[in-house]
Amino acid sequence: MDTPLQLDPTRLMQEISTFQRKLSAGLGQLRHMREPSYANTPRELVYAEDKLKLYHMLGDRAPTAKTPTLIVYALVNTVWMTDLQSDRSLVRNLLAQGEDVYLIDWGYPGGADRWLTLDDYLNGYLDRCVEAVRQRCGLEAINLIGICQGGAFSLCYSAMHPDKVKNLITMVTPVDFQTPDNMLSHWCRNLDVDRFVDAMGNIPAELMNWVYLTLKPVRLNQQKYVGLVDILDKPVELENFLRMERWIFDSPDQAGETFRQFIKDFYQGNKLVKGGLVIGDNEVDLRRLTLPILNIYAEQDHLVPPDASRALGRRVNSTDYTELAFKGGHIGIYVSGRAQREVPPAIHQWLHARD
Amino acid sequence: MSGQTGDFVKDWQVLAQQSWDAWLRQLQHPPATPQPVGNEVLDRTLAGLKGCFDWMQGMAAAGASQPGADWQSLLRAWAGAGNQPFTQAFAGIDSNAAQGFIEQWQAWLRFAHAGGFPGMGATGPVPAFGPQREDLMQQQDLVAAVQAAVEANARYQALIQRANAKGLELLQRRLVDRDAASRPIDSLKALYDVWVDAAEEAYAEIALTDEFRTAYGDMVNSQMQVRQLQQKQTAAWCRELGLPTREEVSALGERLQQVRREIRKQASGDMGAEVLALRREVSALRRELAELGASPAGKASPAPKPKPSVRRVAAPARRPSATTARKR
Repeated sequence: MDTPLQLDPTRLMQEISTFQRKLSAGLGQLRHMREPSYANTPRELVYAEDKLKLYHMLGDRAPTAKTPTLIVYALVNTVWMTDLQSDRSLVRNLLAQGEDVYLIDWGYPGGADRWLTLDDYLNGYLDRCVEAVRQRCGLEAINLIGICQGGAFSLCYSAMHPDKVKNLITMVTPVDFQTPDNMLSHWCRNLDVDRFVDAMGNIPAELMNWVYLTLKPVRLNQQKYVGLVDILDKPVELENFLRMERWIFDSPDQAGETFRQFIKDFYQGNKLVKGGLVIGDNEVDLRRLTLPILNIYAEQDHLVPPDASRALGRRVNSTDYTELAFKGGHIGIYVSGRAQREVPPAIHQWLHARD
Repeated sequence: MSGQTGDFVKDWQVLAQQSWDAWLRQLQHPPATPQPVGNEVLDRTLAGLKGCFDWMQGMAAAGASQPGADWQSLLRAWAGAGNQPFTQAFAGIDSNAAQGFIEQWQAWLRFAHAGGFPGMGATGPVPAFGPQREDLMQQQDLVAAVQAAVEANARYQALIQRANAKGLELLQRRLVDRDAASRPIDSLKALYDVWVDAAEEAYAEIALTDEFRTAYGDMVNSQMQVRQLQQKQTAAWCRELGLPTREEVSALGERLQQVRREIRKQASGDMGAEVLALRREVSALRRELAELGASPAGKASPAPKPKPSVRRVAAPARRPSATTARKR
């Protein structure tokens, strides 16, 4: 090969012209598109408290699973991450498999929620949701699916209330917060989090999004939109893209006190691994976890590196611990087509064997 | 001939830029009817696309559109023309919460250094004394904090620019190292994709260094220091005007949260125990009824009333009902 670049001037001119022509033709259409709706799988409200809601998700047929499963997602996210669109919905897919699914909606914290602590979230909200499901179903213990930070919450909860959780599934869950490739953790290390929370109060969602975008600035802020040019004339794909955009940037603020403790104890102290984590009056010790655990991680996860998740296997005392690697990234694991084909069936199969 | 081509390229670029700008204006012009898709989505999309368009334009201007251009000279020309595509992409990240601080502070700092604030001369702080001593010192602290924040931000931005330069170096290396069997890159879009990979890799390398970690921490911490001093100053003004301060509102929020906890503790404590006792009593009664119904004697006689002692156990012992309380 003589030269790695063979740029023909005429072709380049055509390329730029085509790019521009496609844009002007397609983006006009973008202006007139309606804001896409989410999957909005049918649900019934079974418990509510402050801004939190607990839903029982309703499928087309009655569940075949005997044990209900409660989904716990991250506080930086919204409920739609598990129910994005009808053909990309973790919830809908689990229901179709026969699971009995409950879903927590954390809501959007306002100024009055700035003093919510991790104890309030885990031993308060989450515990009362678990209680509500247990009472409703007349069961001693239920299944938990924890996603990302929700996975860390589920681990802590299961360690503090081992009798209430039958099976635990963690998805893209950080356990070792200080693996060398964890950029987010690296940046947090010198942060004066007390000053940060004292000055900010609740942490604005826009600021959190800015941090996430700066993990891969060109890819997430520019290249992603370049791909849009090729789908501007494809209404369905364009709608899917816009739905993702809506979801990604529709984030709740973070309750200040919870943020303070999460950064200090998890990111800076790495206490889930090193020990010494105390939530409320409870010490969290992962070695107390003897229940069956399915740990699903994404191989190309830029937010929670695989090693951060895989660390769980070495910390728990479960004799029934399974790892599942997903070929994709942190977002793709809930919303990609591949995830829909692979993840819910794997979860169902694993739960079914332990129901 | 090459001169004619050059003119054509220049003309074409001017035309392309003009049409892009006109088109942007047209898109951003408020439509007659409310826009269904959020403006934010459109703005983000446009900013991203504009970044890529500028990248392509920059490459074309550097000589990619010249017949027979040498690729290494092309990249050198591109880098030499002051192109900072990575820095631009970084700066373009839309965030109301994160943007504006530094620009606002720099203007504020210039004003302060020009002697616009009391206690701050053009050459720096002046000794504070007299009845306004506290105010002057607060003002001087704030100016010093803003100065520190601007400097911390400059150190952070320098690292972002270093990532830009490293990305270009890596792009060159990637192109040199391309396997002989690889197909040559023949489009700007393909070259752009290779650049994105190189830029992200170079950035990740820098972002994981101790130097970056320190710069990042300094940038955030110094901004928060400014914010806290501004809040302190605002609180003083609020007190003077008889308005509630942030601290007071926050204290109310804290108290509200304590009350929420206390209410729930009571609900799950005394009342919870009461509900549990009642549930147990109902279960016991049901069992008794079922046993009586099952026995031949039980079928003949009506179910007996529950034992009074059981009822007493279930009665609220410590917390009288609202009705009872009123009667008292």
